[in-house]
Amino acid sequence: MHFIKKLIRVLIVLIGVSLLSFILANLSSVDPAEAIARRIYSNPTQEQIQDIRTEKGLDQPILTQYARWVGNCLRGDLGTSYQSNQPVIQEMAGKLTATLFLVGMALLWIVLITIPLGIVSAVRKDRFCDHLIRIITILGISIPAFWLGYLLLTAFAIRIPVFKVVDYGNLRSLILPSITLAASVVSSSVRMLRATILENLKKDYVIYAQARGLSTAQILWKHVLKNALPPMVTLFFQNIGMMIGGSAIVESVFSWPGLGNYFVSAIVNRDLPVITGCVLVLGLIFVICNTVGELVNRALNPRMISGKEGKVV
Amino acid sequence: MRNKLLHNPQAVIGTLLIAIILLMGVLAPFLAPHDPMAVDITKKFLEPCNEYPFGTDQLGRCVLSRLLYGARYSLGLALPILAFLALIGTTLGMLCAWFGGIFDRLMTIVCDIFMAFPPLVIVLTLIGVIGQGAVNLILSIILSMWVWFVKVVRSYVLIEKDKDYITAAKISGCSGADILFSHILPNILPLLVVYFSTGIASIILMISGYSFLGLGLGNDIPEWGAMLNSAKQYLYSNPMLIVYPGTCILLTAAGFNLFGEALRDILSPEEE
Repeated sequence: MHFIKKLIRVLIVLIGVSLLSFILANLSSVDPAEAIARRIYSNPTQEQIQDIRTEKGLDQPILTQYARWVGNCLRGDLGTSYQSNQPVIQEMAGKLTATLFLVGMALLWIVLITIPLGIVSAVRKDRFCDHLIRIITILGISIPAFWLGYLLLTAFAIRIPVFKVVDYGNLRSLILPSITLAASVVSSSVRMLRATILENLKKDYVIYAQARGLSTAQILWKHVLKNALPPMVTLFFQNIGMMIGGSAIVESVFSWPGLGNYFVSAIVNRDLPVITGCVLVLGLIFVICNTVGELVNRALNPRMISGKEGKVV
Repeated sequence: MRNKLLHNPQAVIGTLLIAIILLMGVLAPFLAPHDPMAVDITKKFLEPCNEYPFGTDQLGRCVLSRLLYGARYSLGLALPILAFLALIGTTLGMLCAWFGGIFDRLMTIVCDIFMAFPPLVIVLTLIGVIGQGAVNLILSIILSMWVWFVKVVRSYVLIEKDKDYITAAKISGCSGADILFSHILPNILPLLVVYFSTGIASIILMISGYSFLGLGLGNDIPEWGAMLNSAKQYLYSNPMLIVYPGTCILLTAAGFNLFGEALRDILSPEEE
């Protein structure tokens, strides 16, 4: 029953996402008929524009247009880019792969760094290590990602040329951009993990476990971390969607040929089909990530009623 | 409360940073040695000297003056955005949590739909279709973030409204509006201040990010993100042009984050 309710809710959200994508793109002052005409004829006449408007159904009511657009999307057709004349879905697939590599590497950093730092910070609360980690993480959530990117570039690609300024296609090229992308997420995750562990350490089950004579390490690994997991899983999956959608800034710094750069250039060039397509796909990815996060949480902890932890910007 | 704030180093540093940035913005016309917009190509890329303490940029404009005026733009944009978000968030969040029912359900769905888009995506698209400029930037950031504020306020009110003193107030005959404004609001206010304080930090980071992408304010305006955007071409020759505005953004955001987090620590029961 819960599953069906959940499914209906996801469907409603998806319909809303598609509607919002369509509305956002249609607020534009760009006349699609004219844009298409300019692609075919270098200097289109009013009649030619009118013909295309009729041919493409752009003179029909907005709801009819929306229905047709959704129908096309469901068949995997997101239209043709005004700039390149290529099918949007094809172009996007290549760009998305590049972004996924970047996000994948960033996720690796997040897991590898967050867990040890969060635990150390909580266990050594108010000691030197904890203070140091808290200072670093507060800087991490306050630093503009693009600025961090430039600092890393200046330091490790210009001053000490370990990396190249513009590089793509190998593991080495992934390191600086993925660190940049991961920095703020790692910082907020460490802080959250610390807070969650500290909160759990005060609970009755910990006192009970201590009374049973379990060692601190046993309590931490077997009980506290398991209970601290659900909110971290929710945050982790939300961050995947956030990073894929928010990679534009980091991609711009490192000239990374990913979805974010593609999206920004489409906006600068007012390439409507690409803008609509990107908004739709990014929204879908985010909904999918959140849903997967909830499913994982349910699988890990069947007693949980619902994933109500929300990420606070 | 004030004592606790004074004894918390985080809170003190945060407050100091916020005060410094505020003073920079307010006193910019008196502190700035030069007109931040004055172009003088003959003086481009000057090293720091007595006349230009932080040197000059690619158009010969005084970097220090631009940094000082930059505080005005960052705070001048972030504060009104926060004010709107706080107003929308508090009103809708309280109404949803208090009345529940169909209104709350509809609102939750709207929130879920908007939250499916990272703020960056909504702002980029809106700026793309309605064009650049300060007003458009403010509008699109509000539109991209309002649901987050509604959700947070709603969750605070939901927790508060189940407490015993609210039941007591109901029994003693308080009206709904009375309970909302004179009981619930004052009690969740500290939590809201924490959220709004860290919210300002993320708004400031967002504004600078969009300006950096060239989608915020024009490059001639002395806004920190825009300064970074024009300085990025000179990354090799004049890295300091990148370092100064970035440091300003970092310190401002850190100030609000430190203040917010310190307040949260002070308010959380474990410290009491």
